[in-house]
Amino acid sequence: MRPFLRRTRWPVGGPIGGTSSVILRTAVRLILPLTFLFAVYAALKGHNGPGGGFIAGLVASVGLCTYRMSYGYQAFHRLVPLHPRWLVFIGLGLAVGVAALPLAAGNPVLRSAATSIHLGNADLHLVSSTAFDLGVLMVVVGVAIGMISRLDEEAER
Amino acid sequence: MTNDLLGLLVVIPLASAVVSVALIGHPTHQRVLGLASQLTMLALALTWLVRIRDGEVMVSQMGSWRAPFGITLVFDSLSGLLLCAGLIVAISCSIHSFSLIDPQIERRYFHPLVQLLLMGINQSFLTGDLFNLFVAFEIMLMASYGLLSIGHTRQQMAQAYKYLLLNLVGSTVFVITAGLVYGMTGTLNIADLARMVVERTEAGVPLPTGFTGLSVLLLIVFGLKGAFFPLWFWLPDTYHTFPISIAALFSGLLTKIGVYAVLRTFPLVFAAGEARDVILPLLAISAGFTMFLGVLGAVSQNQVRRILAIHVISQVGYMVFGLSLMTAASLAGALYYMVQHMVVKSSLFLCCGVMEQHAGTDDLDEIGGLARRHRWLATAFLVAALSLVGLPPLSGFFGKLVLIREGWSIHWWLSTLALATGALTLLSMLKIWTLSFWRTEPAPSGADRRPTVRVESLRGAHVGIGVLVATALFVGLAAEPIYDIAFHAGQQLTDPTAYIEAVDPLRIAAAVESSAAG
Amino acid sequence: MTTVLAVCVAVLVTVSIYLMLSRELKSVAMGVFVLGHGANLAIIAMSGSPVLPGGGLRNPPILGSSDLVDALPQALILTAIVINFAVMGFLLTLLIVTARRTGTLNVDELATLGRSNPGPEGDDR
Repeated sequence: MRPFLRRTRWPVGGPIGGTSSVILRTAVRLILPLTFLFAVYAALKGHNGPGGGFIAGLVASVGLCTYRMSYGYQAFHRLVPLHPRWLVFIGLGLAVGVAALPLAAGNPVLRSAATSIHLGNADLHLVSSTAFDLGVLMVVVGVAIGMISRLDEEAER
Repeated sequence: MTNDLLGLLVVIPLASAVVSVALIGHPTHQRVLGLASQLTMLALALTWLVRIRDGEVMVSQMGSWRAPFGITLVFDSLSGLLLCAGLIVAISCSIHSFSLIDPQIERRYFHPLVQLLLMGINQSFLTGDLFNLFVAFEIMLMASYGLLSIGHTRQQMAQAYKYLLLNLVGSTVFVITAGLVYGMTGTLNIADLARMVVERTEAGVPLPTGFTGLSVLLLIVFGLKGAFFPLWFWLPDTYHTFPISIAALFSGLLTKIGVYAVLRTFPLVFAAGEARDVILPLLAISAGFTMFLGVLGAVSQNQVRRILAIHVISQVGYMVFGLSLMTAASLAGALYYMVQHMVVKSSLFLCCGVMEQHAGTDDLDEIGGLARRHRWLATAFLVAALSLVGLPPLSGFFGKLVLIREGWSIHWWLSTLALATGALTLLSMLKIWTLSFWRTEPAPSGADRRPTVRVESLRGAHVGIGVLVATALFVGLAAEPIYDIAFHAGQQLTDPTAYIEAVDPLRIAAAVESSAAG
Repeated sequence: MTTVLAVCVAVLVTVSIYLMLSRELKSVAMGVFVLGHGANLAIIAMSGSPVLPGGGLRNPPILGSSDLVDALPQALILTAIVINFAVMGFLLTLLIVTARRTGTLNVDELATLGRSNPGPEGDDR
């Protein structure tokens, strides 16, 4: 009826997953762990180099969305049984908590605490803003997959 | 004065929004949580406002990054007054919504969105950084988009996209302008920008080329948010489609953010030097049209909601009038007018909600006789309406007095126009009052006149109206202490030394010069 | 480099204005997204080329002389992208819901719809 709502045809098979190509499916099995690994790398590197929670979240959600496209939403729900809302909730809670914690110590919000741990010869530099970045990561993943599944379900109706 | 707790005014609403999401499905818990967070914020804001009543400036450097590197939160007389007024409005509208909001709308994200809206509003009032102001605007706008589209009735949907697209374009222009400001001056901190302006003026160095263009771009952006002439066209179509409690909240707060942004940035920075000769006439012309055309639009309408919505525009005109004079007293007058208008306009919308409940419609042809049956509602409406008009000793009188007296020597024609607008405001308010309250009820037209939302009790609505009308009376009767604070704000805006010293950005002007030269 | 960027900004803004003048909300939405990209590029162009013509880096204004490139424009753009991303998702969802509610995404038809049934009644929740 309305062109906007016409059933979406993904370039790689149907949304349910029965018709997507074998090549993509096999590739996604490889891609998904790699994107996660890269996401974690980007999130941790973000403190001193290019990267950070937002970028890591986008990378992770690209992986998840590719998985959803090739395997369909049922498989996706098995992979991520949590409603995306909860990811946002936990991530936002973590970020707000880290941002507000310095208030208790009489410091302004978002003040970062840093400490170093000696592991043999190496120094591990730990900062509280990493937790903030992890919160951002979760929010981005939650929002991205929530949004895309929502739009996808809308199109599949 | 450093006060690191300022961050609480941003953290509390965000945290309670997060918790409120977890409480979806338990509207009572959400209500209690939302109200508790708003009351806490109001208590904090009032305490701090009393502490800075002699014109001090409270500052918190987020993350301990010194200005201009980090984001600065500033609580001075200007932001303090508006924060308190805004929170009182928010509390009353929330209590009002407890009895009048459709459970279908309240069910899920209503309370979290209100909290996020407050977060955006608080942050816009507090921030001392131009780019952070953009972020705060976006937070507020995202929440307002959400509130705009929950419940999605067909009519709301037909209007929602206008508001959304218009604000999107406005925000994009804001981003570009912020980028340009940074490119030209090397800083986005308002205090630092103000100091650059002061130092250049004292040294006789002209401002960067194209600075006037920046000012005009920013004026367009803020004018769009604040519904200045000729950028108001989105407002009448949008406001009357909201659920009434949300309409009250928006009419009290959202357009004032645009006016606040002009009030904060233009006297300090963007109306300096050559830009002053362009900006002030623009503001004066815009003020005249906004005041007068707004009230003409309101007089011609026949539905209470539409009259009130279009009236918002006309009242914004008075604030722009104060801005266009740009003296300490006129800025103080504009600020005082903003405070009283936030309270009064929201209370009128809240009254309108209850009127719709009693009469089943807001069409003035079909309602009547409410004064006999609902005496207190009639009194509250009359007090609020006459405050809006500005009859002494109610709150609007004092604001208009200051503005018109200040304006007389600079733009006598604007003052005359303001008086004429006042008369027409009286006309439109009396139209609502006589038709809906005073006259006898007209014969039923046979149309379906059930209220759109079935409610069990109107107690919450009455409490909300009571709080706001009492505040309006307080603002009118205790005009002196409030105007004193507003006057401190006006002085700080015309003489930014105190503001700059409080924020104390590191001296970087020399570095900017060398970088611009290299 | 800055000239190339400026031309890109001009093209993006032209395309977006052309799209925004359409009567179909889908095109308008696309126009708004393209405008967002144009704005981001404009910030990059405005912050100037990071490498100065005579060699050497353009220093961040607030740090004075040092060997760092000014990172603030990138930070501004990242923030703008994040916000644009969120608003874009919301706008698309809103358009879908609007299409489902009203059966059209044409601006003229929506306008007549908004006028033909005034008041909050007549909806189908």
